[in-house]
Amino acid sequence: MEAKPSNLVDQLVVPGDVILDLSNMANQTLKLSGGLRQDGDSICVMKAGKLRFMKPNKYWVESSQKRYVPSAGDNVLGVVVDTKPENFLVDIKGPALAFLPVLSFEGGTRRNIPKFEVGTLLYVSVVSANPGMNPELSCMDVNGKAAEYGVLKEEGYMFESSTGLARSLLSSPPHPVLEGLGKKLSFEIAVGINGRFWVNALQSSTVILVGNAIQKSESLSLVQQKIYLEKLLKSIQL
Amino acid sequence: MEQRLANSLIMTVNEKKFIENALVSDIRVDGRRPFDYRNLTIRFGSEDGSSEVQLGKTQVLAFVTGQLVQPYRDRPNEGTFAIYTEFSPMADPSFEPGRPGDSAIELGRIVDRGLRESRAVDTESLCVIAGKLVWSIRIDLHIIDNGGNLVDAANIAALAALSTFRRPECTIGGEDGQELTVHPPDVREPLPLIMHHFPVAVTFGFIGKENIVVIDPTHYEEEVMGGSLTATLNTNGDVCAIQKAGGDGVLQSVIMQCLRIASVKAGDITSKIKSAVESYNTQRALRKIKRHNPSSAVSNAAKHNEESTQVNTETKSIQQSSDTNTSASTHDVTNIGSPEQQSKTLKDAVKPKHKKRKKSTSNANAS
Repeated sequence: MEAKPSNLVDQLVVPGDVILDLSNMANQTLKLSGGLRQDGDSICVMKAGKLRFMKPNKYWVESSQKRYVPSAGDNVLGVVVDTKPENFLVDIKGPALAFLPVLSFEGGTRRNIPKFEVGTLLYVSVVSANPGMNPELSCMDVNGKAAEYGVLKEEGYMFESSTGLARSLLSSPPHPVLEGLGKKLSFEIAVGINGRFWVNALQSSTVILVGNAIQKSESLSLVQQKIYLEKLLKSIQL
Repeated sequence: MEQRLANSLIMTVNEKKFIENALVSDIRVDGRRPFDYRNLTIRFGSEDGSSEVQLGKTQVLAFVTGQLVQPYRDRPNEGTFAIYTEFSPMADPSFEPGRPGDSAIELGRIVDRGLRESRAVDTESLCVIAGKLVWSIRIDLHIIDNGGNLVDAANIAALAALSTFRRPECTIGGEDGQELTVHPPDVREPLPLIMHHFPVAVTFGFIGKENIVVIDPTHYEEEVMGGSLTATLNTNGDVCAIQKAGGDGVLQSVIMQCLRIASVKAGDITSKIKSAVESYNTQRALRKIKRHNPSSAVSNAAKHNEESTQVNTETKSIQQSSDTNTSASTHDVTNIGSPEQQSKTLKDAVKPKHKKRKKSTSNANAS
């Protein structure tokens, strides 16, 4: 039986809201993610944000914040903070440092442990994030391939953003400012859902322009973003 | 160990390299040129002597308070002046709660040196009774957010707060000429401090192998820079203080160049502070007009004549005009800062008690 999604989907919810009542639901599985909690027979909201639903049965609450709450499956930008025999300690803007096991690289063995100096910028995925434990990272996809993960080039600049801005940069349809700039300028970008994005281009000025334009666009509405983008593109041509 | 790692700012190799490389082509990460200052906003609190300064992402609060104390023995007719800093871990996780860190002490010292040793505040006008009572001015600097260059922001906040601070007017009278009356602010207009000039701190950072000079470094640039120099100047071009603590050495010619740039920036900042203070003062004057309704204005005027002759009448007249936010500011006679006095009525505050208290405080100071 296909359950009807909660009528609060895509609405703003606040802590304490009950989104589903389990007592009148038939046997079925629900997957809850960030910001939701089962409290007896009801599903409660634990943080303010927008309730999201994905078929068939996944619920989570989306909000924008400066700190990142790790959750499994996220692709994040991390900074190596320390090296231990078993793990690299990586800062992913979370409440605790994350562990990146030295063997979780493509074809990783005891023989070929990569060397990262403090401050190396990595694109990694979160493998597990349990409360009370340091989150665990990996530089492999599920098939054990490096995929896109690993060290980012030692150039370019990493900008900070809120988690909401990072998510909108990754969303489809693409972020209007990012798309508009991409048509005029050539640059590389890597976005971590933990509120960091790395921009690289041939010229430093391009990196600075793109980074600041994206950061500034967060506080603008869609229409304002378009006006801002037009102004910006005109100023480049001059 | 792990907590300390998480709390300290760790910059990526990319960022460090980029800041240096971009500077070679004369640009900085926030889009500024090397000698551009960040956006400066000065706001004032509802009370006199409080200011909030925002310099880019850096945010600093300053509060100025005054208290009547015994002067130092070697300077019997000068008021005292002290600066206290408060670095909250909310501003930057690397600030530890409790004891002040090195940066907190350095910041306090630089601001203190700039203001005190250039005699920006006229301390002699703070004397009430030579050798016995002077005003002690205390500046509290609270760092709200650390976006880099705390020294300049704190210095501007201190200047702005000092120039809006007003101390209650004091008169000496009585039969023996030793009776001190501190007039509440609604009876007599409190007096502003006398500021001779505005010593403005301007900080430079030296980044990279070629020691490229940048003004007003951000938090990230501070992490990368090899050394920094803080010059405190006023609009006349007088150098009030220079701080160059460790780090990379700089050429004498570079220092001279920095001082020239700093004196231009100091002029800009001073005019910004002055215009902000002016608009605050006009608002303050407007507020005052609104606050008094016609009847209480009359009673205030009458009171004005009475109070100089008899202290006791003040009690009555203040009770009459209770609509004019008096409750907080009615305390009379010395020791403005002492909390135990607040509970007592104004009648307690007349001479005999006051004499006793003065003795006890002087004893406490001596010990």
